[in-house]
Amino acid sequence: MPRLYVERDDANSESATLVAWLVPDGQTVAPHQPVAVVETSKATVDLLAPASGVLRHGVQEGAEIDFGATLGWVLAPGESLPTAKEAGRATADDAPAPVEDLQPTRAAARLLEQAGIDPAAIGSHGFITERDVRAYLDRQRARTAPLRALEGIDLEGLSLPDGLTDADRGRLDPSFVSRLRADGEGFRHLPSEEKIAAYREQGAAIADGVQLGPGSLLIAPRLIIGRNSRIGPETFADCAEQLAIGSLSHFGPRLELRARRAVFGDNIHAGRGITIGGGGHRDPWAVFVAGDLTFFGDEVFINVCRPVLIGREVFLTMRSIVVTHNIGHSPLEGFENRFAPVVVEDRAQVGMGCTLYAGVRLGREAIVGSNSYVLTSVPAGKLALGVPARVVTEARRTISPARQREVARTLVAELAEWLEARGERVERRADGAGFRVEREGAAYEVLYAETRDGLPQADPASEKVFVLLEGCEDPPPEGLLLELIPRRARGEATTFGHSVREYFRKRGIRFEPGPWRYTGGWI
Amino acid sequence: MSTRCAAALNAALAEALERWDETLLLGEDLADPYGGAFRITRGLSTRFPDRVLSSPISEAALFGVSAGLALRGRRPVLEIMFGDFITLGLDQVINHIAKFREMYDEQVRVPLVVRTPMGGRRGYGPTHSQCLEKLLVGIPGLTVVAGSEYHDLHRLLLAAIASDDPVFFIENKLLYSRFQQRGRDGRLGPFLWEEGDSTYPTVQLRAADRCSVSVVTWGGMAHLARQAAEQLAIEHETMIEVLILSRLAPVDLTPLLASVRRTGALVVAEEGTLTGGVGAEIVARVQHEAFSSLRGPARRVAARDAVIPAARHLEDAVLPQVEDITDACLAAAAGTEH
Repeated sequence: MPRLYVERDDANSESATLVAWLVPDGQTVAPHQPVAVVETSKATVDLLAPASGVLRHGVQEGAEIDFGATLGWVLAPGESLPTAKEAGRATADDAPAPVEDLQPTRAAARLLEQAGIDPAAIGSHGFITERDVRAYLDRQRARTAPLRALEGIDLEGLSLPDGLTDADRGRLDPSFVSRLRADGEGFRHLPSEEKIAAYREQGAAIADGVQLGPGSLLIAPRLIIGRNSRIGPETFADCAEQLAIGSLSHFGPRLELRARRAVFGDNIHAGRGITIGGGGHRDPWAVFVAGDLTFFGDEVFINVCRPVLIGREVFLTMRSIVVTHNIGHSPLEGFENRFAPVVVEDRAQVGMGCTLYAGVRLGREAIVGSNSYVLTSVPAGKLALGVPARVVTEARRTISPARQREVARTLVAELAEWLEARGERVERRADGAGFRVEREGAAYEVLYAETRDGLPQADPASEKVFVLLEGCEDPPPEGLLLELIPRRARGEATTFGHSVREYFRKRGIRFEPGPWRYTGGWI
Repeated sequence: MSTRCAAALNAALAEALERWDETLLLGEDLADPYGGAFRITRGLSTRFPDRVLSSPISEAALFGVSAGLALRGRRPVLEIMFGDFITLGLDQVINHIAKFREMYDEQVRVPLVVRTPMGGRRGYGPTHSQCLEKLLVGIPGLTVVAGSEYHDLHRLLLAAIASDDPVFFIENKLLYSRFQQRGRDGRLGPFLWEEGDSTYPTVQLRAADRCSVSVVTWGGMAHLARQAAEQLAIEHETMIEVLILSRLAPVDLTPLLASVRRTGALVVAEEGTLTGGVGAEIVARVQHEAFSSLRGPARRVAARDAVIPAARHLEDAVLPQVEDITDACLAAAAGTEH
């Protein structure tokens, strides 16, 4: 369709101004009929209709129009206005051409195209360089690498820590990692704060309150440690790709850890003299994962050349052994030659001195009795025993509400006894709903009830811990509330409150939310 | 709605006329309907007929009359149609306007602004295309401002008019039809953007957090330097910082020195001729202050020492182009000798 535009008529101007439309929008015009007046710096000129048809205005009077830009159209019968995109030049008369905020360099664009990646995945502003794209691809690879290593493993029943998919943080300067590998002797004897400061400076993501014991050395291209985690003395960790530890985790002395990737959740407790690694720790599948609240007893030995996946709230007690491969003679001679992952689902428990053989899976809440040799998987909720281990019964009994009430009351009564045995002045309530302790002029109360309604009147002056068997909707306005069956803690905890929480934790009642760690007090 | 530079300057003049009764605009063909050769005063003589005055074609008379008005407490803003014509008034500028304040022991001030377009790339030939700021820089008592589309031209011109001392306000003629390019939230397109908070700030465009060359420029060359920065980033992955000055005299090189300390390499790009250029002064000062930060020699991009031809292809051969900046930056980034 014929369009209206202004031709350059002098050398002084880059644009003209539309002074006025001479014909209203939508009226029919004849060829060479003046339809608009435009003004350049040298002259005012009439713009003539290029053909007969209906005049449509594209810009408003007063607009600046670049030479050659469309300011309107003359439509022949049956023609309609161009779309906004086609009309772009006409509507953009007073706006600069948009500048892309994000511009891949030529090399980056080539890579992005090859990899089929949208530049917006990499950033929102600036120039994207080839290096940015490569770093992104590396991160993607790192992100999926553990998952690739885990291919074929059923992840059902496993609560794995976030650190497993966190592929971005804590990247250390590679030359620093090389230096530590070549000679970490001097470094490992530095004080904890100096080591942590150096790790941070080199790129590690280490949160506040982390302690790294004397003589301890961590080597990993990516190092992430959550707040207040403690790593005991004489630890040596060497991971080919990543070492991640959650918050409030605690590792005893002389941990030896070698794996491609080792990822620990929050609130891990690991005893002394633990070895994780052994043969094949540099294999692509050498991924070790342990979920939140998992317990490793002293001298646990775990071989990782295939994934070892340990869920949440798992107990792997003293001197347990996990192997992911055997050593022996040629499989062509009929000997077994086995490389296979080991999976321990959430809340499973492994007794002292057990061995879990390559390929074994312990189901959720399964229990393996002490000194068992586990060659075949144990289904969820079963108790297995023996050499080789066989399922003998259920891992837990059904418990009646009456029995639950009795257990809870006993637990509270035993807490009172405990405190008494430690020399505290304990005053038991006549109604059996808890007790009161006085120490250095201050009063403390533990008030127990099955439900919220049953809670007795508290002393307004005391520091209170409410213990309920069931959950409740409306927690008391002050003090700490511990709900035993839902395993939930709410309200403000003081030292006394934390001490009560710790008492229940030792009896297997671990409250949410976590991570939480007892820092000492009454117990 | 974005603002073209011409509109920003026009609005600044209108605001000055509105705010300060002593403001006067003088120049050739300023009055409507023409509104000046580049239409910067369009509409103003209609709104302020007594204070927007078209003058006869005599730059010498214009400078003299303006100086007198300024001495008598008016605030004249003089438009010299082409910067090439300032030479007709330079005796009065150098020997009188710039010196009165000190010669008369601060008993008088000369609040005069001389606005004038400079620069080529329009085929206007030898006497309508020059960048003559080097004739003005280094005259004590004279402030020389050369804004770009990256500065808030409205604010810049208003500040010049508000000044009680003489200011040359140089407008590259290619700016007029361009849009103001203002950053937001520390960004301008793909660049990191930063603007100092002084009256005549230096604008910084950085292609990345870590850049390997600092390019300092002003006026019409800012546009080319930005194009060079884009090309260098996209074609070569060489990231540069572009520092766009707004005041050439007295010049504040603090942001530039900080930049050179980051990048270790300096390129100065100006549209005026090479010999005796403003860039030479900047290089001299930077090497004195930050010699140990420089990895190699500073490099200069400028017009060839030649008369500017009217033929466009020949003009292009004389005036500095984007490739001159990219070449200088690549050499500077490599840190090699010429």
